[in-house]
Amino acid sequence: MNESALCTKTHEYVLEQGDKYEIGITDYAIEQLGDIVFIELPEVNAEFTKNEVFATVESVKAASEIYMPISGKVVEINEEIVNSPELLNDEAHADKWLIKVESNADQVEFADLLDYSDYKEEIE
Amino acid sequence: MTKQTFIHDRHVELGAKMVDFAGWHMPVQYTTIFEEHHTVRNSVGIFDVSHMGEIIVKGPDALKFLNKVVPQDISKLVDTKAVYCQLPNYNGGLIDDLIIYKLEDNKYLIVANASRIDEDINWLSRNKFGYNVEIIDESHNYSMIAIQGPKACEYVQAQGISSLPRFFSIEKGSIFGIELWISRTGYTGEDGVELIMKNEYAVKVWDKLLETGTAYGLKPIGLGARDTLRLEAALHLYGNDLDENTTPIEAGLKWSVPADKIDDYNGKSVIMNQIKNGVKKKLIGLKMIDRGIARHGYEVFYNNEKIGVVTSGSPSPTRGDNIALAYIKNLDNLTVGSTIQVSIREKLYNAEIVKKPFVDKRNK
Repeated sequence: MNESALCTKTHEYVLEQGDKYEIGITDYAIEQLGDIVFIELPEVNAEFTKNEVFATVESVKAASEIYMPISGKVVEINEEIVNSPELLNDEAHADKWLIKVESNADQVEFADLLDYSDYKEEIE
Repeated sequence: MTKQTFIHDRHVELGAKMVDFAGWHMPVQYTTIFEEHHTVRNSVGIFDVSHMGEIIVKGPDALKFLNKVVPQDISKLVDTKAVYCQLPNYNGGLIDDLIIYKLEDNKYLIVANASRIDEDINWLSRNKFGYNVEIIDESHNYSMIAIQGPKACEYVQAQGISSLPRFFSIEKGSIFGIELWISRTGYTGEDGVELIMKNEYAVKVWDKLLETGTAYGLKPIGLGARDTLRLEAALHLYGNDLDENTTPIEAGLKWSVPADKIDDYNGKSVIMNQIKNGVKKKLIGLKMIDRGIARHGYEVFYNNEKIGVVTSGSPSPTRGDNIALAYIKNLDNLTVGSTIQVSIREKLYNAEIVKKPFVDKRNK
């Protein structure tokens, strides 16, 4: 995954891309989940606050709720992975983001997010 | 303190993801659940199931005693035969489900769920009064390895297993020069055997299996695939699909409860009454119609009324759809083919009642 992303302790990431943010789950989360079989994403235009559940990712064993790392309004969802959730497990597949959002999040919202290297330390 | 099987370190060396299960540190998967599942359906897989309990019941009253604690008629069990049965409480609810093997006259082996060994021993001991019988928990002395899949029997025979028992039978035998019990049983819906051996031999057998099994595509399989395999075969998991408030009749296990058994046994009046007059709840198989996975604890609806709860649910790697077992109210109009709903994250999703098992390999 892109190592300039910021991560949550609950294993989501957010990556700034121009005027939008890409949100997904970390490579560590994917590895822990194992075979991913189902992804439920919100509708475009849905709005969420920071730490709110916005998606569900299911492995064979369990359903996991995914939390917003920052507040924002959904502008795009990754239809490809909704239709083929197993792409998340495919190391060769690049586009593993879940949603893209527009956000007015201030510094306070970013304060508890971790650099990828700090996140890696945290989970070890 | 989490317990470890004698093969534990091998799982770690193989890179398995380990989890706590029923107080044991067990491998949930070595590669992926899907891959391991297909290995067992298409060739052969081995499972470390040493966490399972082994209880010996012996003595002059062993038969009479067992007939008092299970609905099956143990007097019909001939030497080396095994039978699937349950341990009901006085209300017909289930303390555990078991396999009982007749080793010889007056000596039986019970294989029990890891999570229930203590309860089983307590219950058997409570019922022992007046019977000349010994109940010995041998769980800590024995290891168990299951070998399952369409190529399992061919494979073990090629390894010179001394004798392959008939289905649901057990024989004393040997493989790789090691003396052990060979049981033609399993928990996957596939043919295969389960080897029960003294702990000291477990690692050697495990290593030899992995070493000699390559040509057959033999792989180690974790508890994750064990669960999807048993669910496809609609085999009950104690704690999910069976508990102390559920009778064998409600659980769809009437086939394991003889109607003509003469001896009285715990829970018999409740169980016989249900056979005669019907049950209020019943276990059904579900296949999701809408996109969504029904899981343990999710509620089941019909006409916007709650009628039950899912007890086991997961994707079916063999079928490619999402399946579940659920207890629902025993309504006459709900049968195979009916559409009901499962509540997933507060939304209702359509599901169809289907025949069990979900995958039937034995009749093919």
